[in-house]
Amino acid sequence: MSIDAPFLNRRQLLQRTAAGFGSAALAALIGSPARALSTAAFPHVPAPLFKPRAKRVIFLFMNGGPSHVDTFDPKPALAKFAGQQPSGELFKKSKGSGFMPSPLTFAKYGQSGIDVSSTLPHIARVIDDCCIVRSMHTDVPNHEPALLQMHTGNVQPIRPSLGSWLVYGLGSENENLPGYVVLRPSNQIVVGPALWSNSFLPAQYQATSVNTSDMHVEKLLANIKNPALTRPQQRQQLDLLGQLNESHLKQRDGDPQLEAQIQTMETAFRMQAEAMNTFDIGREPQSVRDLYGDSPFARSCLLARRLVEDGVRFVTVYYTATGTQPWDTHTNHDATHPKLCRDSDQATAALIADLKARGMLEDTLVVWGGEFGRTPYAENKESAKAGRDHHHTAFSMLLAGGGIKAGQAYGASDDFGMVATEKPVHVHDLHATLLHLVGLDHEKLTYRYAGRDFRLTDVFGNVVKDICVS
Amino acid sequence: MRSRLGTFAVALLLALFVNLRAIAAAPPDFDHDVKPILEQYCFKCHGPEKQKAGLRLDQKPSALKGGESGEPAIVPGNALKSHLLQLVTTNDPEQAMPPKGDRLKPQEVALLQRWVETGAHWVDQSQPAVEIVAVNPDAPISDRDRQFWSFVAPRRVAPPVTRNVAWSRTVIDRFVLAGLEARQLEPSGDAPKAVVVRRLSYDLTGLPPAPDEVEAFLGDEAADAYERLVDRLLASPAFGERLASLWLPLARYGEDQAHQVGSDTKLFYPNAWRYREWVVNAFNRDLPYDKFLLFQIAADKLPEATPDDQAALGFIGLGPKYYNRGRIEVMADEWEDRVDTVMRTTQGLTVACARCHDHKFDPISSRDYYALAGVFASTRMVNKTADGKVQKADAKAEQVDPATLHIVEDAEPHDLNLFIRGNVNRKGPLVPRHFLSVLSSGEPAPFKEGSGRKELALAIADRNNPLTARVIANRIWGQFFGQPIVLTPSNFGHSGQPPANPELLDHLALSLMDNGWSIKSLVREIVLSSTYRQSPAGNAKNARVDPANEMLWRMNRRRLTVEQWRDAVLFASGRLETGGGKSVDLDDAANVRRTLYARISRLKLNDLLMQFDYPDPNVHSEKRSVTNTPIQKLFVLNSPFMIAQSKALAARLAADAPQSEEARIRYAYQVLFAHGPNEAEMKLGIEFLQEPEDSPMTRWQQYAQILLASNEALYVD
Repeated sequence: MSIDAPFLNRRQLLQRTAAGFGSAALAALIGSPARALSTAAFPHVPAPLFKPRAKRVIFLFMNGGPSHVDTFDPKPALAKFAGQQPSGELFKKSKGSGFMPSPLTFAKYGQSGIDVSSTLPHIARVIDDCCIVRSMHTDVPNHEPALLQMHTGNVQPIRPSLGSWLVYGLGSENENLPGYVVLRPSNQIVVGPALWSNSFLPAQYQATSVNTSDMHVEKLLANIKNPALTRPQQRQQLDLLGQLNESHLKQRDGDPQLEAQIQTMETAFRMQAEAMNTFDIGREPQSVRDLYGDSPFARSCLLARRLVEDGVRFVTVYYTATGTQPWDTHTNHDATHPKLCRDSDQATAALIADLKARGMLEDTLVVWGGEFGRTPYAENKESAKAGRDHHHTAFSMLLAGGGIKAGQAYGASDDFGMVATEKPVHVHDLHATLLHLVGLDHEKLTYRYAGRDFRLTDVFGNVVKDICVS
Repeated sequence: MRSRLGTFAVALLLALFVNLRAIAAAPPDFDHDVKPILEQYCFKCHGPEKQKAGLRLDQKPSALKGGESGEPAIVPGNALKSHLLQLVTTNDPEQAMPPKGDRLKPQEVALLQRWVETGAHWVDQSQPAVEIVAVNPDAPISDRDRQFWSFVAPRRVAPPVTRNVAWSRTVIDRFVLAGLEARQLEPSGDAPKAVVVRRLSYDLTGLPPAPDEVEAFLGDEAADAYERLVDRLLASPAFGERLASLWLPLARYGEDQAHQVGSDTKLFYPNAWRYREWVVNAFNRDLPYDKFLLFQIAADKLPEATPDDQAALGFIGLGPKYYNRGRIEVMADEWEDRVDTVMRTTQGLTVACARCHDHKFDPISSRDYYALAGVFASTRMVNKTADGKVQKADAKAEQVDPATLHIVEDAEPHDLNLFIRGNVNRKGPLVPRHFLSVLSSGEPAPFKEGSGRKELALAIADRNNPLTARVIANRIWGQFFGQPIVLTPSNFGHSGQPPANPELLDHLALSLMDNGWSIKSLVREIVLSSTYRQSPAGNAKNARVDPANEMLWRMNRRRLTVEQWRDAVLFASGRLETGGGKSVDLDDAANVRRTLYARISRLKLNDLLMQFDYPDPNVHSEKRSVTNTPIQKLFVLNSPFMIAQSKALAARLAADAPQSEEARIRYAYQVLFAHGPNEAEMKLGIEFLQEPEDSPMTRWQQYAQILLASNEALYVD
């Protein structure tokens, strides 16, 4: 469907859209193929320049910040120099008992021989499908700004999120489902909705946020089911509504914005059935459910797979079932961290393996990580209950599928895991790379707001070509 | 000096077990050594945000002066006389600083002492740093810069003579018609009276007309029937509510912050609604627009502002407060919010672009930006009680008295250094506070009174300011036609759009000022025009020339805003309650007040508002997008709110039109659409209602929902 577009050039269409007057144009384009959305309605969005490798993204977010030296970045020097105070420039002075070795053993796994800690046995088994970036760094070692930076590129809460940018650039694959879904096992997340905000991007790029504490479908999605009417009854209701709307439309010269509303009502009706199906992990065989495990995070990972399978573009799974930021292990780190790993490990590896088995891994990008890492030195003095503090100058992230050059550990931190020294990857670089993998040029994906063209990466960011399949 | 220092060192060694070698080292560097200590222990209570006991330590002049004790906090060269040093070392728990948390470590005390002893060298904002940048040397504004259309005063021209002389009712019409005739476009005739009364009612009050009001208007044959209708609606208290819906998103009205640390509510604005109430009342009493702006920027400094008018300062005082306010870079972000909100709202200029570099398109230099940012750096956000006292900044939202206002007052006035490329660690020259150069004749005069807010407000609310009247006239016009004359209402600069009809815009701006800045007069003039009363019907010939209807050859069909739509649903169901006051969350099932009075959260905007295009309250919003999503329709089909209102509407219809099914259907149409059903619509309704009852929702309730869900209920013709 098109509005009176034959008469409008692109510039006019954009102006009308920007003036809040082109709803029909937007409506007509919701859910239409990516190319139509990006080229027709938004001249600012370039058509993909390169062959996109990934069509969809799942971001597994470990709230609080997992420890790189206990997961993917082994540092034997910590044992040798245990108890010594770190030197050099520190964000906060070390007040604890100095370097704190990881109690875990590391071994090399797979063909690629990447080091993985003993708390991640399942990921170790799929490590050849993964790329570990060991040289991540971000600007601030505090949760709020670091969370915002990882999600929006900016440390203050007024920018669109990565997911909103991506859906803005690509459109939706399935008009009967939302394009961007946030799964969180609790409502309590540090920072909260600013992490998945569409900010100044129009409302159709906003996330549909789903609390997964109760996996019954009607509980997951607000207003997905009429409490009083059966489907045939509602169909009858909509049939009359359709007739009245058609008569109204006919008296108004077939105004395209009215026609678009009629279509959207029908989409919503279909969405009820489709979403009820897609969001229902009860439809998965027990064998698959066993593969993921039975924890809030595991169930969310399984749901994430169902969502991308049916055409959702971007899914974030937050790891917050046991607190607002479980990975923030300031005390008792050595006891808590392995437990978190165990839960996260099985579901993450299951997701990667499951996607692969379905032939979806090659165009589905999976990202695993937190807002920063944790200090290689102890935060406090009582060594029995020692914890690790926030650490932003070096940490690790895992990427898999979707055009990632798998089976490599990229970049490195120094001998103590203090600073990303080799091929450092800033959060802006990560964002540029993720957009690149879905076929978007981070320098060209812009939105004009307040008199200037905003980007996810602001004026920063370089695509890390070495971790992408060329 | 040397011997005194030696004495001191010995004293320290004894008292504080300090390493003597540290003291003998080179003089401490303020930025590197001293500032981090002050930042860690002092700035939270004696910094840019709070100045407990009147003491502010992040700026040299105020630190030297000291606080209410009268003793200088720092006496360069004399640590013993420096009150700061006494308090951080004393053992008296009543006196000791900081009062809570860790005391300074001995090395830190030693460092401070040494820094004071060696002269307290302090490179701060009031002392331009070494680094002088190649900022365009004072970026002189050229004559050509000043000739850009929006920087030239609105031009007064005689209303044009048009070929068609019958169509125009007002001067506005002659400007519109001239634009149409120049492009061989035909204006449309008046819409039917029933259409106009519904349109006018939504536009002036945000609500549909009641059936008896429609009937009265349709039956009123007098020549001035329409004018009297306009005047009645302008006098309705709902008028101010409707205009406030335009203003609040410009002012990024919000009642909390985008993020919250734990369950901390002390940065929230539980009484934000008092600002909203002031805005509603200001529109209702037709406070002249120049005063409307003056009060919102500087009511605390204007004798004509009453105590009630102090709430107007919420325009600035409800601005976002960001995480980690003790840090200069965070405050720099907040100043940007104030500059951006004030300048885009009132001037339609994207001044904040010049925070990191001279504006790429407009003659606005970084100096101009820091000249304005300095005003807000010299202004602090306060919670002020009814008796004018500043409430402690750490009061939780629940403890704030309902009469307390979230407003601003002057802090210690000071100029800012230009931050090179926006980087707070790279200081450029000191920039005196002043208004935008391009809007000043010659060199802009430095602001002299306190923070300079009053002078800023006067420069904005000045009849000679070429932008102020145009910007608001353009926004108001946009409210009534669905598209403003300048399509980028908060960007009147080079990267914005030029006006589709510049003479019309200038006429509206001049008319506003000529009528004593009366918004009601401007609105009245607009809605009395033939332009406004046009039919929205299409015209194939016109559509070929001007498909986007930029020249207004017909009325635009408009989707209701979320406020209008939800209010109309409650109005139809008979549940709508008038009155405002303290905000209530929209999710509260008992909330049947106008949507304007909903709680607006920056942390988590209500789902209904968010899904139906209410703008993000974290930033100034120049316009709303109009999206059409299945999520919106799911709300219409299945939400508890819609089901409750469908039931209420069905009950109301049964009560108000009990005679027959036909009578009820007819009444339903009149309530919702301001006209009766046609034959086919009546027949469809009857057929639907005759089906057997089959669900917990009666047929009538289901039918009521259909009408509420219809396109006709969502659009105004």
